Amino acid sequence: MANKKGSASRIRMAAVSALALALLLAACGKSNVAQTSAQGGTGASPAATEPVLIGVTGPLTGDNAEYGKQWRKGFDLALEEINGDGGIDGRPLEYVFEDTQSDPKQTPAVAQKFVANPKIVAVIGDFSSPASMAASPIYQRAGLVQLGITNSHPEFTNTGDYIWSNSSNQKDDAPYLAQLAVNELGKKRLAVLYLNTDWGKTTVDLFIARAKELGAEIVAQEAYLSNEKDFRPILTKALDADPDALILISYYNDGALIAQQRLSVGFDETVAVVGIGSIYSPQFIRLGGEAAEGVYTSTRFYPGDPRPEVRRFVEKYREKYNEDPDTFSAVAYDGIKILAQVMREYGTERRAIRDGLEAIRDLDTVLYGKASFGSDRRLQNPRFVNLVVQNGKFELWQP
Amino acid sequence: MLDQWINGLVIGNLYMLTAIGITQIYGVAGVVNFAHGSIYMFGAYIGWMAIAWWGWPLFPAIALVLAGSALLGLLLERVAVRPFARQGSTILLLTTIAAGLILDNAAQVIWGPQTQALRNPLPHWHFQLGNSTVTLLDLFILACGVGTALLLHLFLYRSRAGWAVRATAQDREAALQMGIDAGRVSRLSFALAGAFAGLSGLLVGLYFSNIYPTMGASATLKGTTAALLGGLGNVPGAILGAYVLGIVEAFSVEWLGSSYRNLVAVVLLIAVLLFKPRGLLAPRRALNPEPTAGTFIPHGRPLRFPRWAAPAAVAAAFVLPLALANPYPLQVLSIGWAFALMAVSLNLISGTTGQISLGHAGFVTLGAYASAIFTSRLDLPFSASLVISPVIAAAIGVLLCYPALRLRGQYLAIATLGLGEAISLIALNWDAVTLGPLGISNIQPPKLFGYELVSPAAQYLLAFVILLAGVWIVHRLSRSHLGRALRAVREDEVAARAFGVGLSRYKSIAFGVSAFLAALAGVLLAHSYSYIAPDTFTFALSIQVLTMIILGGRDNIAGAVLGAVLLIALPESIRFLGEYRFILYGLLLIFMLRFRPCGLLNART
Amino acid sequence: MSLLSVRNVHKHFGGLHALRGVSLDLEEGETVAIIGPNGAGKTTLFNLISCEDSPDEGEIWLDGRRIDGLPPHLAAARGLARTFQNGRVFGNLTVLENVLLGAHTRLRGLTDPGTRPAGAVFSALREIVLGIVQPRRFRELEAELTAEALEILSIFGDRLIPRFHQPAYSLSYANRRRTELARALALRPRVLLLDEPTAGMNPTETDEMTEVILKLQRQGQSMLLIEHKLEMVMAVAHRVVALDAGEVLVSGPPEQVRSDPRLIEAYVGKTADTAPAGAAAAGGTRFGASAALTAEV
Repeated sequence: MANKKGSASRIRMAAVSALALALLLAACGKSNVAQTSAQGGTGASPAATEPVLIGVTGPLTGDNAEYGKQWRKGFDLALEEINGDGGIDGRPLEYVFEDTQSDPKQTPAVAQKFVANPKIVAVIGDFSSPASMAASPIYQRAGLVQLGITNSHPEFTNTGDYIWSNSSNQKDDAPYLAQLAVNELGKKRLAVLYLNTDWGKTTVDLFIARAKELGAEIVAQEAYLSNEKDFRPILTKALDADPDALILISYYNDGALIAQQRLSVGFDETVAVVGIGSIYSPQFIRLGGEAAEGVYTSTRFYPGDPRPEVRRFVEKYREKYNEDPDTFSAVAYDGIKILAQVMREYGTERRAIRDGLEAIRDLDTVLYGKASFGSDRRLQNPRFVNLVVQNGKFELWQP
Repeated sequence: MLDQWINGLVIGNLYMLTAIGITQIYGVAGVVNFAHGSIYMFGAYIGWMAIAWWGWPLFPAIALVLAGSALLGLLLERVAVRPFARQGSTILLLTTIAAGLILDNAAQVIWGPQTQALRNPLPHWHFQLGNSTVTLLDLFILACGVGTALLLHLFLYRSRAGWAVRATAQDREAALQMGIDAGRVSRLSFALAGAFAGLSGLLVGLYFSNIYPTMGASATLKGTTAALLGGLGNVPGAILGAYVLGIVEAFSVEWLGSSYRNLVAVVLLIAVLLFKPRGLLAPRRALNPEPTAGTFIPHGRPLRFPRWAAPAAVAAAFVLPLALANPYPLQVLSIGWAFALMAVSLNLISGTTGQISLGHAGFVTLGAYASAIFTSRLDLPFSASLVISPVIAAAIGVLLCYPALRLRGQYLAIATLGLGEAISLIALNWDAVTLGPLGISNIQPPKLFGYELVSPAAQYLLAFVILLAGVWIVHRLSRSHLGRALRAVREDEVAARAFGVGLSRYKSIAFGVSAFLAALAGVLLAHSYSYIAPDTFTFALSIQVLTMIILGGRDNIAGAVLGAVLLIALPESIRFLGEYRFILYGLLLIFMLRFRPCGLLNART
Repeated sequence: MSLLSVRNVHKHFGGLHALRGVSLDLEEGETVAIIGPNGAGKTTLFNLISCEDSPDEGEIWLDGRRIDGLPPHLAAARGLARTFQNGRVFGNLTVLENVLLGAHTRLRGLTDPGTRPAGAVFSALREIVLGIVQPRRFRELEAELTAEALEILSIFGDRLIPRFHQPAYSLSYANRRRTELARALALRPRVLLLDEPTAGMNPTETDEMTEVILKLQRQGQSMLLIEHKLEMVMAVAHRVVALDAGEVLVSGPPEQVRSDPRLIEAYVGKTADTAPAGAAAAGGTRFGASAALTAEV
């Protein structure tokens, strides 16, 4: 009796497991159209014309979710403009945002999903290097453009000719920062704190090389881990080296913490704080409070920049979200705009988009002004503005 | 010098807050609560709403935080602890992880993922010590930590309710027989622990002036380390452990650099546990008391399937690529197979040998790096690396774990967690070999017999064949005298040892075989991703693999495979839920465990 | 030279001097019972002999080789097998697997721990490979051991045989104790250490266990036995050693020890001094034993 009952439950169990698996697989295989990310009421009505779809792979949950959220604001704004202006040859432009938590075990699956969906013509993302580069071979082999908008890893675009990036290029940013600190601010004894990631390491090496060329001395060079919150020991060590400037190769969250904690280990106003462009964000001031006062940075993007393309972007952004954009929403905005310009000119075939990226000249971008891609498949000739925090705001700074 | 001492004390202060909470709940409920960090984060957000939105002064805000997080603790107890109280602490590990996942994702949905500023409303009074300043907030945090520790002590040793709590912690059955309402005691403990977690979250948030939804994870890690240093369940030990940790970390930054900070913390923890296995302040005890009879927690027995079931499943898996035109489910499954291999290998350590390991990602990282280095820098072919890399990874893995194998239960779990982190920190800091934070890119795709295995179907088949080999190895071992010896170690270390089963030998064998297979999965993933970095395989992966085997059924190979495939496919198949997807995932996990507490493929006996 | 020889061992636990110079000998084929009130140091002595713990002073010799301070798994390899006071079976293993595990040390050449680190690594690797490949010789050995295990289980009549595929946690308490003894026998011990083999058993079960022990004795098994039930001690022991407060109080043939006034004093005196009503429940067997003693006198 007991035996019979046992076997019945076994069979039931097996049936339930098999069914569950089948359902899961079926759900995985479902087409993406139903999952198109909802986007704020753009003008594009569901016309008879098929929308042009861009795949976005990035973090909407998990540790990096806040960056994904900033991206989305930039994307939505860009789409509103493009679709208000006739879309891509009359077809509305839309995107599908797949959450990957910026986790390398999810990005290849998402990549296959995009590759398998013929409606997807190009892909933007992912956020971190491990997540993005785990998917790159799949995009490359399938011949689908992967446009990295935050991928500064020097090897990122080397996977192949379908991998492109409009993210900041450390070859430009880092030497420029060195120039700001050494030439324009006249600092000679630099203590450098950097985020110990691929981005931080690349940046710091380029920074130091240039700073030494310009005649500065690096009195301290300290790496910190990306989940670090307590900077007092590292700051004490830097202070002991008696620097005249503290260089931050940081993001805005950790940059704000460093700015704050430096005061409690004895740094005073005589030691300037100069941060790389990634600290530029309204969040930096919100989190850093008074400690953010007097911090210098050089950035490609500044809402107060008088360039017309920047003015237009910032005004529209403020109108839509009632806040200032930061670099992450700006690169996202640029990413969509770049793809749209290429598609308008070269068509929406996957291959055509790749060729278009190579051929197109003088793209309109917020971060680079008029710009073109170089042979390294990155945008060339960035422009920078110098900023300083004054009275709780980033202001333009002239020597 | 003085400055670093002060830096250490200031950060030790913060570690102390969390360490006391963790050590208390362990002492009272005997559970390492993985949702502790999430309640901590919720407490911080409640306080932030009170201060930043409603403009409350600090003390009413603290009262609100205490009340709110105590309620949350009660809710946690009701949903994720009470229904599972009889299933033993391993299930509770999983249900509290699931509850934490739900809370963290709920916080992202409610308050948004971005970091929020939390201004300190206390007056900006401070005094100077050397170059450093010590603020009123630092002193307030100290007072809160010590104050709550004292209050808890008074409660536990001076009140009747506290007496009941202690009695239940000592012996639940006996307490029940003495008429103690164990349910009430459990509710009380979780409410207290919740309140404490929330308060520490708020105070730490005030110290750093910022809060964010995932802030709980690293705080709990440091708190647990400090609690273990002092000895779990020992409050003065936790306080001492926190300050020791803070000071050692400050000086490790001074002498080695901030990237070595966590590495030094791991080494410190393991060194202390080796010499004082029960923590710095534990009394020396020669022998454990003999267990009383009849305290077995049944594991459940594997469900038996007809003989044709396994070959049929394998055959079905082999023909699947022919049946599926869409490469997406194939890609999901080939990652699923790699994770199944990790689960099967972890099952040997945790399911068969009964040693909870939270550092499995470390073995995967070892394998991935070994193969990346061999193939990219030494030009070894993939086929050779497939064999050599896991062997080397297993050797290094066993060597690293060997000193920790003497530790038991939660102590081993935390030590392995630390070792897993240590491996990725070594990869980060050893620039010359691993290229440090840049990681290794352009790793060649898998290539066998002259064919590049790049299509989704080829990668799927490769992963599946390797998984089959791993399953076969573990299955054979599990059915041999070795399986018996490993299970004996799991059931009763003292009795096993008395019958000639040398513990360190057999634990090393389990860890060695397991590390080999996990590293094999790492090799597979490294070549499939083409890029690996020190943070490719993280602590979250270790936890996820553990979740897979508990879900599938402990000591059940088919269960491990099923658990892995389900947990990889599940989040993929509920993508349309967007931000809500991991909330549902957590809920499903709790439901599955509610109805099959021994795991999906184990039956209760 | 005796088979097992304990020479003047001392053991401290913090301030407690648990053993104060205990000496004891066990000859080949002999059964020696250790008796004494609770806290006399009986189990501590067992833990020292089985190398679970090491003495602070003194020596322990087995078969002409010194064993104190060895790790317990090596002591097992030298032929020491024990049962535990509260019955420590492997709950989630079947009865048969429990017994087979007892034979672990007999997989010689397979599980040989080796003495040098390199040898240990090599032999561990070899053991893994053998476990995976399972050559014929290996399967034959396993089959032989299984047959032998069933034979051992049959000592207990049909108490265990019908249940040999059940997990041990599902057994009754008495059956767990029987399983434990079967596991110890599977080691083919030179010396069998039995820690209260009949604790918690009813009179019928106790008689059965006594029979089993007598049978083992007839087969020439050397045994060291801790026991409270005096009747059983009288029935099986060749010699009795009475411990009190960590010292050997009396030792000699059972009859002689039983009537020794010092022993009665040790039991009765203790009972009168230190056994309030509540504690008596915990010391039930002891109380019974002392009652038996006084009745005999």
